[in-house]
Amino acid sequence: MNNGHKEIGTADLFGVFARSLLIQASWSFERMQSLGFAYAIEPVLNKLYPDRAEYESRLKLHLDYFNTQPYLASFILGAVVRMEQDRAAGKKSGTDAQGIKASLMAPLGALGDSFFWGSLKPFAVVIAVALVMAGSWWAPLLFLLIYNIGHVVLRAGALVRGFNSSGDAVELMATYRFTSRARQFKVISLAVLGGILGAMPVWRSEFRPAFPVPGTFIAVSGLALTLVLVAILRSGGSPVKLMLGLAAGCLVLAYAGAI
Amino acid sequence: MPTIDMHMVLALLGIAIVGGLIGLDRTAVGQFMVSQPIVAAPFTGWLLGDPAAGLVIGAALELIWVLDVPVGTFVPADSTVSAVSATAVAALGCPGGAPLPVIGVCILLTTALAPVTMRADGIIRNWNARLADTVPAAQGQDLRRRLARAHLSGLAVFFLKSFVLTLVLVPAGLAAVSVFQRMPDTVHRAMSLFVKLLPVLGSALIVRKLSTKHVDLFLLAGFVIAVVAGQVFHASVSIIMLLSVTAGWLGARFHEQRS
Repeated sequence: MNNGHKEIGTADLFGVFARSLLIQASWSFERMQSLGFAYAIEPVLNKLYPDRAEYESRLKLHLDYFNTQPYLASFILGAVVRMEQDRAAGKKSGTDAQGIKASLMAPLGALGDSFFWGSLKPFAVVIAVALVMAGSWWAPLLFLLIYNIGHVVLRAGALVRGFNSSGDAVELMATYRFTSRARQFKVISLAVLGGILGAMPVWRSEFRPAFPVPGTFIAVSGLALTLVLVAILRSGGSPVKLMLGLAAGCLVLAYAGAI
Repeated sequence: MPTIDMHMVLALLGIAIVGGLIGLDRTAVGQFMVSQPIVAAPFTGWLLGDPAAGLVIGAALELIWVLDVPVGTFVPADSTVSAVSATAVAALGCPGGAPLPVIGVCILLTTALAPVTMRADGIIRNWNARLADTVPAAQGQDLRRRLARAHLSGLAVFFLKSFVLTLVLVPAGLAAVSVFQRMPDTVHRAMSLFVKLLPVLGSALIVRKLSTKHVDLFLLAGFVIAVVAGQVFHASVSIIMLLSVTAGWLGARFHEQRS
């Protein structure tokens, strides 16, 4: 190797992190995040490989297909930066950058989708919606706070962990306990949703049903309607069809004189 | 329908730019969730002088679309364009505060946007693939330049998608609201009820995705706590939600210990 053992420092990792925020800027069906990955890692390759031919060949290698959950992509980026550093320094490694990308992108994609989109996001949403129902104007700010404290810390931490561990995903999972935390978020979300439905008689005025019946009856009706809609969804209903069906049902009730 | 004067044209252009910028967060930049309806709609409403309409539209659309997530090559409906457009139509169509029936019809109109936004997303992602195809053939310094240009061009493409959609959909929505305002009072009452039932539909969509059980115990626990606290002890919504969160957290701990 011909570069005199260049080391990747904190500033370089920060640069990769900043660029990783744009990893999906050119997302396409064919290449998905491949340009984003190459764009994020390019300054590191530029530093590690003064030989232009080698720099070019390494950069082109990273133009290969890549797709994972965008937040956890930072873990793979960290691991690949470490491998490129070791490779440039002439250190032997059991696996190569392409191998680690190929082996990690699918499992981390599934894990990240399930954790971030499937549990943390609905958790932050139901808390915020509960506050909206309570009449708070700052619910959107709380939503951003709950979601981003977790996600930004984890995203930055995953990059550093990927770099330090050379892509040891077992350590990543042991540290962040994605599966058990996802379960906790889901359980709390369901309990808060139950709370939102139970508080239906005292929702903010825009949402509060104005029927001259006891509050408990309104709440129980709301829960019953929710469970009926869940059953319809399980048999293949879509959000758009249900919204249209709900609007049609309201029109029928209005013309029947029930409201 | 409000008159199309210079003020209205500037407002439409401004909101299309805001929609384009907020839309970047959805896929291309960061994904800090400012593009989620619960943030994007109140922000749009605040800009146009009707934050309350934004909060109602945002909360309803958020519950409905929160678990329609991008997994693999699936591109969900663009709830950001829906939230920004619906709020802009409500605020510009009824200066001084949109009444509940108008908010309802604005939300209902977004059902027509779902396939349009999905199609638009498909087109721009294919366009991004064409941009990416120019990169691997480049050599030397040109490779670095082409990579940056192709990747960052994606930002402009994503921006333009939300910008154009918002610019086209808001005037169309204003025309629809104008027609709606001349409809009989019965239709208006139906739309008011539609808004009040949307949180129930949203809750059903979330329960469907978070729980595999027909009647989820955590949902029921939150519901019972809320009914008892609200109807028996007349607790405020904030206290009810706090109790639901605590119940969910204790339930998650119990669930974890059992398993």
